[in-house]
This record gives sequence, C-alpha cells and structure tokens, in this order.
Amino acid sequence: MAREVISTGNELAAKAAVEAGARFFGGYPITPSSEVMHVASDLLPAVGGTAIQMEDEIAGISAAIGASAAGVKSFTATSGPGISLKAEQIGLAFIAEIPLVIVNVMRGGPSTGLPTRVSQADIGQAQYPTHGDYASITLCAGSLSECYTETVRGFNLAEKYMTPVFVLLDETIGHMHGKAVLPDLEEIEANTVNRERFDGDPADYKPYDVPMNKPAVLNPMFEGYKYHVTGLHHGAEGFPTEDAEQCEFNIERLVGKINTVHLENGGLDDLPDYEEVDLDDAEVCIIAYGSIALGAYEAVKKLRSEGIKAGLFRPIMLWPSPIKRLEELGKQFGDKIMVTELNMGQYSKEIERVIKRNDFTTLLKANGRPIAPAEMVAKVKEMM
Amino acid sequence: MRHTLRFTGVGGQGVLLAGEIMAACKIKNGGYGLKTATYTSQVRGGATVVDITLDDEEIRYPYANEGEIDFMLSVADVSYQQFKNGVKPGGIIVVDPNLVHPTEEDRQKWKIYEIPIITIAKEEVGNVITQSVVALAITNTMTNVLPEQSLIDTMLSKVPPKVHEANKKAYELGKKYALEAMAADK
Repeated sequence: MAREVISTGNELAAKAAVEAGARFFGGYPITPSSEVMHVASDLLPAVGGTAIQMEDEIAGISAAIGASAAGVKSFTATSGPGISLKAEQIGLAFIAEIPLVIVNVMRGGPSTGLPTRVSQADIGQAQYPTHGDYASITLCAGSLSECYTETVRGFNLAEKYMTPVFVLLDETIGHMHGKAVLPDLEEIEANTVNRERFDGDPADYKPYDVPMNKPAVLNPMFEGYKYHVTGLHHGAEGFPTEDAEQCEFNIERLVGKINTVHLENGGLDDLPDYEEVDLDDAEVCIIAYGSIALGAYEAVKKLRSEGIKAGLFRPIMLWPSPIKRLEELGKQFGDKIMVTELNMGQYSKEIERVIKRNDFTTLLKANGRPIAPAEMVAKVKEMM
Repeated sequence: MRHTLRFTGVGGQGVLLAGEIMAACKIKNGGYGLKTATYTSQVRGGATVVDITLDDEEIRYPYANEGEIDFMLSVADVSYQQFKNGVKPGGIIVVDPNLVHPTEEDRQKWKIYEIPIITIAKEEVGNVITQSVVALAITNTMTNVLPEQSLIDTMLSKVPPKVHEANKKAYELGKKYALEAMAADK
C-alpha cells in the first residue's frame, strides 16, 4: 500500500530523511531550501533526533559531519550559495569518508544571484563542489514523489559508499504543492542501508585499511574503536601520511569506489538511474532532468499529438552519469537530440563528452524562469 | 478537463494560501491539483503570482501556460499589469477596483469584474487576513471548478479554529459579491 500525501518537495525531502533514519540536521536557513530545515526541526525531536540551526552554513555542515562521525545519520539542506560556503567541509567528508546527505534546492546564481527563482546551475558544482580528486554521487528529483524517494536513496547510498551524497531539488520542485504518492514506511525501513562496522578486537581496528574501490569501515566514535579523522591524506588508522604509494591508492580508491563500481556493476544500487518515456519508436529524443522534465513530459505529449514522435530521457542519478545509456542514445538518435536545462549547458557538456559529438540541439535558459512546454515544442519543430 | 487559475498580488497578502486550498480540495476529490508560486526576494511589496492547475488527469508542468489561463484574480496593480497577458482572450479577471486599474483595451479583451476584496475583508468581515478566503469564494463561485462544501471544509482545515467563524463569513460574503457581480453583468 502506498501513501498519498499533499505536500511540497522541500517538506517531502525532510520527511524522507527522518523516515530513512536520519536523526540529526545541522544547517542554516536559505531561500529556497528553508522549509527543509523547518520540517526537520518539527519531525526530528519527535523521534528523539536533533535539529540545530547553527550560526552559519559552515557550522551547519560541520555539526552534521560531527554527528555522522558519531554514528548518527545526518543531513543538511541549503542552496547554491550555501554549498559554496560549505565547500571546504564537503571536502573533509569526501576524504575522511563520512556519510552525509546534502539537499541543495537550486536557485539562480552565481553568488547570491536570484534567491527566489528557479535554476539548475549547480549541476557542475555538485560534481566538483570542492578542490581535489574524488567522485560525487548526485541524485536529482524530477517529481514531488522523487523528492521523497531520492532523499531516502541518498541516505542509503551515503551509508553504503561512505561519502557525502547530493540530492538536488530546485525552486520549482521544492516549493510546488500537490499530490505525491510515497512508498510505505515498512518498505522504506526494510530497505534501509546502515554503514558497515567492525566488530573484532578494538586493537585490530584499521578503518581505512580496505581494498581498492571499497569504502572505509568507520565505527561510530566514542564506542572504544579508536581512529584519527583528518583532512590530510592518511593511512590505515587515519593518521596523516605523505607516502606516495598510499596517497595514490587513496585517491584511486576514493574515485574508484564510486565511478569504477558504477561502471562495472551498471549502477550503484538496484534503483533506476534514469527514466525513459516513449523512446522506443521515437524519432527525436528530449533530454531533461529535475523540474524541467515536468514541462518535457507535456512537450512529448503535444508533439506526438501533432504527429512528431518525440520521447524523453530523464537522468535521475546525474553523477556518475548514465554513460552506457547515453552512448546508445547518441547512436540511436544521431543529431535528433535536444538537451534542455536551466543553465548555460552544464549537463549538455557531459552529454557531449559521453557521446563524443556536439551536433545535438540545446534549449537553455538562465534567467530564473522555467522553460515552458511550448518553447520545447517550438525548438523540436525547428530540428525536424 | 483542465482548469488553470492565477492569483496575483504582492508579497504578504496571503494569495498563496488560497491556491494551496484549491489544489488540496481537488486532490481530496480524487483529482490532481498543483499550486506554484513565483515571487520576488522582497519580503513585502514584490509582485507575487500563484498558478493553480486542476485536472482529473495527472498534471506534470506546474506553471500556467501563458495565454491559456481561464481565470485570474488580482489585488495589486503591479502584478496585474505584469501577469494579465497569461489570461486567454475572453477569460475572466476579477480585480479589486481600489487597487487595480484595467485599461479600456483590457475590458474589451477579457471579462473584467470589479469587487472590492480588501474592503470587504477589512470592513465587513473585520479582519483583513480573510481576504484570501473572500478571493477563494469569488473564484469558485465564478468558475465552479470545485464542490463548494468540500472547498469550505478544506479551507477550515487549514485555518486555526479561533478564526473559523470569520472565515466562514468571509466565504459567504465573497460568494454574495461574486453572484451580484455576475447578475449585474447579465
């Protein structure tokens, strides 16, 4: 039995976090993500959890990282400017391998940009939010229901791969108010992933002594299993090292535990990395994600009603990107691909990289306004 | 059958709540409803627009398609001027005549009704905050898109019990003024 609720994307992301097992939120309010914190501060105390509004964005994520190191599933929520401020600590979570969910409700940028207006311009930022080498896991909700399900998925991936995970919403989807169908709580709980732990003799515990492409095994702090947490390159017990072989291994493992595993296993979990609509017999393929895909569904319908066989490819996991499927689509559709996004082509560049062609069409906008189905229909007609 | 409605005002007037109530009511009656607001970063005084889409079938794109809006209600001239062109030719527009000033050209293009929404809330109900419920009543009386009792019940579930009576009164007054405006037009 599924649950039907009337809600907004931001409220659903907070609800999902709590139901996925999060018991700590640390953050700072920022439009258009503040409601995530409001709802977290309602829901968490009721289940014995904690929500703290810290003095700024940096302190917000720092508290969340600390809580996660203590073994408590934690999250923070912000918008692009907040991610910029949090960048240094996001790097710490990557290298120290501390699981964390970061909800980014995207607004217009750069800098403080367009606070109340929609954008998808943090796609590149989500891939490389901080300096150094690592691989990002980034999920992008394309409906109210996915604001819930992709947040749950974010927590499970964070615990499985011991890494920060980005859940991208945008102003439209975060604030829109309507019906969402959610999986039952029992189903969520039955599929909850908890980080691995070492149960042997504390004297033998080496959290970072793991094989290539495997995540660290971090026991909760304060339980007698001692290790060092640092942003410096570190060896098996977490103490700093500059050993060339160790540093190379660290970086290859940080990148490989996400990107190599994603490629070799055809995904990071059993859930869909993308959605396809009417692609089987399509002559033109629209590629869109997040709230822009909402208009694309209607554009596909309208084009088909006028005799143009259009289809939609909607990536859900943006990073790592669905490389194999994109390669196939590149071959199947040739130049009859239209990528539409609310930025100057951040994901179009990834598609260009993967399909090794740049002869496809783009429909881009970066002024804080959505892209209407009619604009997509007109653009596709120009291509035919 | 899809209905697209638009409420426009300025930040702080409470136009968001009326949209939320309409979407929720449609969903409770087995359909689909979406409310999306667009506003500026000004806390008070910035143009605010709320689009409400109601349908028996699933709705994906949450904004009104420009030129397809059936009904618009406006309580601020700045927002009226900015967003009126979304209304389809022949569509209904309700304005508060003390605050919004349509041109003669507008009156040719759309069916414009003038109802002093803010004055009704302030002076007849006695609470300016109830203007969103006056607007809600006018909207549904003129468009007939939702079952009235269900809409009133949904509205009451979203406002604190201590203001139930004031809001019921606001709904009745909004309905009365809407019926009078439509009768005068005939």
